[in-house]
Amino acid sequence: MSGSGLSYGEQGGEAASELAQEAVPAATPSAPAAFGLFSSDIKKNEDLKQMLESSKDSAKLDAMKRIVGMIAKGKNASELFPAVVKNVASKNIEIKKLVYVYLMRYAEEQQDLALLSISTFQRALKDPNQLIRASALRVLSSIRVPIIVPIMMLAIKEASSDLSPYVRKNAAHAIQKLYSLDPEQKEMLIEVIEKLLKDKSTLVAGSVVMAFEEVCPDRIDLIHKNYRKLCNLLVDVEEWGQVVIIHMLTRYARTQFVSPWKDDEVLEEYSENNFYESDEEQKEKDQKVKNTYTMDPDHRLLLRNTKPLLQSRNAAVVMAVAQLYWHLAPKSEAGIVSKSLVRLLHSNREVQYIVLQNIATMSIQRKGMFEPYLKSFYVRSTDPTMIKTLKLEILTNLANEANISTLLREFQTYVKSQDKQFAAATIQAIGRCATNITEVTDTCLNGLVCLLSNRDEIVVAESVVVIKKLLQTQPAHHGEIIKHMAKLLDNITVPVARASILWLIGEYCERVPKIAPDVLRKTAKTFTNEDDLVKLQILNLGAKLYLTNSKQTKLLTQYVLNLGKYDQSYDIRDRTRFIRQLIVPNEKSGALSKYAKKIFLAQKPAPLLESPFKDRDHFQLGTLSHTLNSRATGYLELSDWPKVAPDPSVRNVDVAELAKEWTGILGKTKKEKPTEKFYSESEEDEDESSSTSASESESGSESEKEDKEEGSSDESSGSSSSSEESSDSESDSKESTVKKISRAAAKSDSEDIKKKAKRISGKRSPSNSSGTESASSEENSSDSDAESDSKSDSESGKSRNATSSKKEEKTVQDGKAPNKQDVFLLDLDDFCPVTTPVAVPTAAVLSPSLTADLEGLSLSSSSVIDLKKQTMFSWLWVSLRMILVSLLYFRIIIFEGKLKIAITNVGCLRTPPFCQCL
Amino acid sequence: MLSQIFILSSKGDRLIHKDFRGETCGTSMDLADTFYRRITSLPGDQAPVFMAHEGQHFVHVRHAGLYFVATTTADASPFTLVEFLNRLVTLLRDFCGPLSEKNVSLNFALIYELLDEMLDYGYVQTTAPEVLRNFMHTEPVATKPFSLLDLGSIGLFGAETQQSRVAPSSAASRPVLPPRGEQGTPMKVDVQGEIRLKCYLPSCVEMRIGLTEEFCVGKSELRGYGTAVRVDECAFHSSIKLDEFESGRVLKVTPSQGELTLMQYQLADDIPSPLPFRLFPTVDQDPTGRLRLYLKLRCDLPPKSQALNVRLQLPVPKGVSSLAQELSSPEQTAELQPGTKSIHWDIPRCQGGSQLSALFKLEVPGLSRASLLELGPANLAFELPAHTCSGLHVRFVRLLGPAGAPQRWVRYLTHSDSYVLRL
Repeated sequence: MSGSGLSYGEQGGEAASELAQEAVPAATPSAPAAFGLFSSDIKKNEDLKQMLESSKDSAKLDAMKRIVGMIAKGKNASELFPAVVKNVASKNIEIKKLVYVYLMRYAEEQQDLALLSISTFQRALKDPNQLIRASALRVLSSIRVPIIVPIMMLAIKEASSDLSPYVRKNAAHAIQKLYSLDPEQKEMLIEVIEKLLKDKSTLVAGSVVMAFEEVCPDRIDLIHKNYRKLCNLLVDVEEWGQVVIIHMLTRYARTQFVSPWKDDEVLEEYSENNFYESDEEQKEKDQKVKNTYTMDPDHRLLLRNTKPLLQSRNAAVVMAVAQLYWHLAPKSEAGIVSKSLVRLLHSNREVQYIVLQNIATMSIQRKGMFEPYLKSFYVRSTDPTMIKTLKLEILTNLANEANISTLLREFQTYVKSQDKQFAAATIQAIGRCATNITEVTDTCLNGLVCLLSNRDEIVVAESVVVIKKLLQTQPAHHGEIIKHMAKLLDNITVPVARASILWLIGEYCERVPKIAPDVLRKTAKTFTNEDDLVKLQILNLGAKLYLTNSKQTKLLTQYVLNLGKYDQSYDIRDRTRFIRQLIVPNEKSGALSKYAKKIFLAQKPAPLLESPFKDRDHFQLGTLSHTLNSRATGYLELSDWPKVAPDPSVRNVDVAELAKEWTGILGKTKKEKPTEKFYSESEEDEDESSSTSASESESGSESEKEDKEEGSSDESSGSSSSSEESSDSESDSKESTVKKISRAAAKSDSEDIKKKAKRISGKRSPSNSSGTESASSEENSSDSDAESDSKSDSESGKSRNATSSKKEEKTVQDGKAPNKQDVFLLDLDDFCPVTTPVAVPTAAVLSPSLTADLEGLSLSSSSVIDLKKQTMFSWLWVSLRMILVSLLYFRIIIFEGKLKIAITNVGCLRTPPFCQCL
Repeated sequence: MLSQIFILSSKGDRLIHKDFRGETCGTSMDLADTFYRRITSLPGDQAPVFMAHEGQHFVHVRHAGLYFVATTTADASPFTLVEFLNRLVTLLRDFCGPLSEKNVSLNFALIYELLDEMLDYGYVQTTAPEVLRNFMHTEPVATKPFSLLDLGSIGLFGAETQQSRVAPSSAASRPVLPPRGEQGTPMKVDVQGEIRLKCYLPSCVEMRIGLTEEFCVGKSELRGYGTAVRVDECAFHSSIKLDEFESGRVLKVTPSQGELTLMQYQLADDIPSPLPFRLFPTVDQDPTGRLRLYLKLRCDLPPKSQALNVRLQLPVPKGVSSLAQELSSPEQTAELQPGTKSIHWDIPRCQGGSQLSALFKLEVPGLSRASLLELGPANLAFELPAHTCSGLHVRFVRLLGPAGAPQRWVRYLTHSDSYVLRL
């Protein structure tokens, strides 16, 4: 662009000088202007290029900021691509991030050049700093270039077994991106999802469920084994993840559990007649239900674990839980969500709007839930119209004999509102109350008739329409009201209202025999100026009068029909022809005209005044589809309850896995038992490859927990002390079991590991004790070269001591570790010590396991442990952990205290909860 | 999940635009314009939260004149979208200072970085400021060095010691709706309050904020010897440590620079102090057929307090043609708004315990009983400085650490949100 701009500028200049004589005055001044414009543009971009190539970081940074600024404003900066992409390897993290922003925006347009950056990302994927690994994966997967699909696949697979939960989380996010780029990878991606679903980190849980929902929402079978784990982790998951998980679990539960609503109860709840049911009856019914139905313990687990989230600060979480209770909980328990929902009404208007929509749907089906909060739905004068109408809708739904008088008084003031649209909606609402509650129909009707003398035309028109509907349901006393309305006809201009009055007079013309013909006479005069809607009703009125009172109105009707015959509208002409054939007897008209009176003056069914929210209930609450009242793409239907519960045992986790779960979740409280169990079970599962692979993640998270408790600095000393402890307490037989297992697992993997050994050692950082341990375990497995080398370097010393105290073999095999370290030291220049200043968040603020994950982040370079190497050593690790856990008894108590605080701290504290937890 | 995010200025200029999923390559640039065209074609506050356009759904919130818009194609929880946008607004305030068009456009690099960390492929990753701060590297560009509380009173304190100051302000905003029933009893009263902290201390120091000792949460709790300061519900910011709350009603927080809402509380129906204003209207018709409206406004605040900028808005019958007025003091003004057909009675200042009156004579041609129905309800707007309706006060603000003695202000303010008096 710069080149062409330049040439154009030159040409323009030349042309201008050439044409100067040719008397084209307009061209002469414009050419230099154009030249000026372009030259400045060129200069600017050249300038940027130069800055990008300069050696100073500050200049580069400045240039990148300006470029990103161009993107933000929507200007095209694609021509700078080659200059920018060079900087992708910059050491300065600030520049790097801006380059990433640029790459994500333009990579798709410049695919060939984008490939230049790929190698940098591949290198960064092996960076010791987990933040760099994670962001490299994120950007790599955001580059929408089809050629790199295999590279992405590989990167995702590796990252999914990364030791850092943050990197695994990013791997989960990358899954959707790869899926949208190349849907053919689906099968492999599902494998990754399956693996990540087993992950125990709270950071990963939310992200992987997001991936699950996008890639394979129908593979509900993947959830079975992880269901209980997800339920248990839920409270600690980060809030946006909670929303997604809750929605997914709602769908899951609807396919896996039987309905907690007893059939007949459901019917009663839905039927309109029975909403006056008293609480006592309700309770009785519940007891009956309990007699026949027992809830699946897993179902109960879900309900119990989501309940505290109702206190969340995040409206999305509260609503997610509310819809879960609505769709899953027994009717008697669903009531607890109403208070939380009402609380959401205090937040800003957008949230209010959506909450009210959902409440509106709920209140149609179960009035009782929101009745105590009736006053919260009173309209405020400052509410915007959309919220006013929604509140009105809810108030109408909640109306019953007990509160109708208060409500009507409230409505009375709403009718006076300045906001005419709202006043009209109020009149509709009064109409609905009047039909629903027979006691007040007369009062409402009288009130509405009073409104007919209102000055405002919209109010009057709306009242007429509603009165018309009411009169149809109340065929008793019409005369007076109809007379009154006939008088109004002269003044009202709103077509709907006029049409309604005419229809009324026509329908009940026998009750007002004197007025009706007169009205027809008046309207016949104005027929040509009326709205189509009114014209049709005039025709109707004429026809009905012709049938009942033909003496007086025959000619008038003929006249109206003639007018209609030549009307501009098809509809009216059609209707005219139809009526004429039907009512005017002639030779052609058949048997039908005999029945004309019956056809026209048949008893018409009264219109049902229904809530406009009636039809929304088939959408799941809290979804976009529900809000829009139309199916949005990707809406996942909530299935009906199954008649017979599917096999609940699918959720049973294998005993070995269960044991792990205990060590992970319950291990802190039940210390001894799980230990026993763990070992005994593991013996059985010795050659089960799945169990070893599962234990990878376990060991990873375990080591992190230790980091948290011990602090990363004294990690190695902690583990050594624990290993001493283990040698004291553990019997020899058990140790041998551990060894055996690790050996068995190691053998299967050893080939793989040998290949990778070198690469891994390159990544290892010197201070990384767990890293060296894993390396030593690796040696342990590939016990081919068992040259003893007593010399060891200081870093690995301690941790090796830990293991060597137990196994002589290991000390022997450890010999290679220092060698590897040497290799690594040579490669040191490749390892850039990027120090990211990471403040450790305060523990009390975040939930403990989340904190653990986050602290994992702040470990930066020290937490580089390739998981593959960890595999065979994990058994040993777990055993060490168990003892450590028992040592840390006191710590754990404190830990749990924190946990409680964290839970209550999630959101709003309503009652004084602190005293209990402290 | 979100497809795109854009921030538009009030004039429709694109300040920030980011496409996360690349689903709408061709049209993405026009989407912002489409949105702006649609939003401006709708009147004032009537804009729906959700709008559909060719398979895209727009969600927007508006803050400080800026539109924060997200688009989505697929079915997501609408709450997630709205809540995310609101969090984004709060975070931008935290990271770049008060929201303004200029501030956003100056800090685009920071905002891009922030969006990058918060969203991945349109999925929300995290919005916790503590976590995000770890990832951020770009320095914010401040438009002004410091603008502490946009208050007139700042001048009094001078601006020399700007480096170290704490300014917690307790603002109890107060939307009340006490319509008079027959006996003038309030029908529904609601108080929503919050304690906001604006901190401009350069370093992180722990701060202890003591609240009234008698502060109780919930209906049943009883504390202290004096009259209890009772609220129904109370929510704290996630960074507050509450270990001393139970014993001494002390909030401990280590604030970062900027504004922070420490606590929000709600109180319904049962408020300790009397409502600040009561209105006694008399309506009759004088012999010449004019409508006489005698309004007596009583201010029930304690004598030391006062209300500022009181404005009473009273709708009158549509047919009104002219207004004659008699007001109790010269500083008050009243006028008839021809557009909305209502009387605006402005009282710049009203001392507690005082009583104001006004007599309006309205010329209404063709006055009927029905048109009397159009009178009212009256709407009152006011500000009460140095007064909280809940009675909650800040006892002390203390800083731990060597920060010296920074400037501290505590400010109480009560706003009316919706104060309706039915005639």
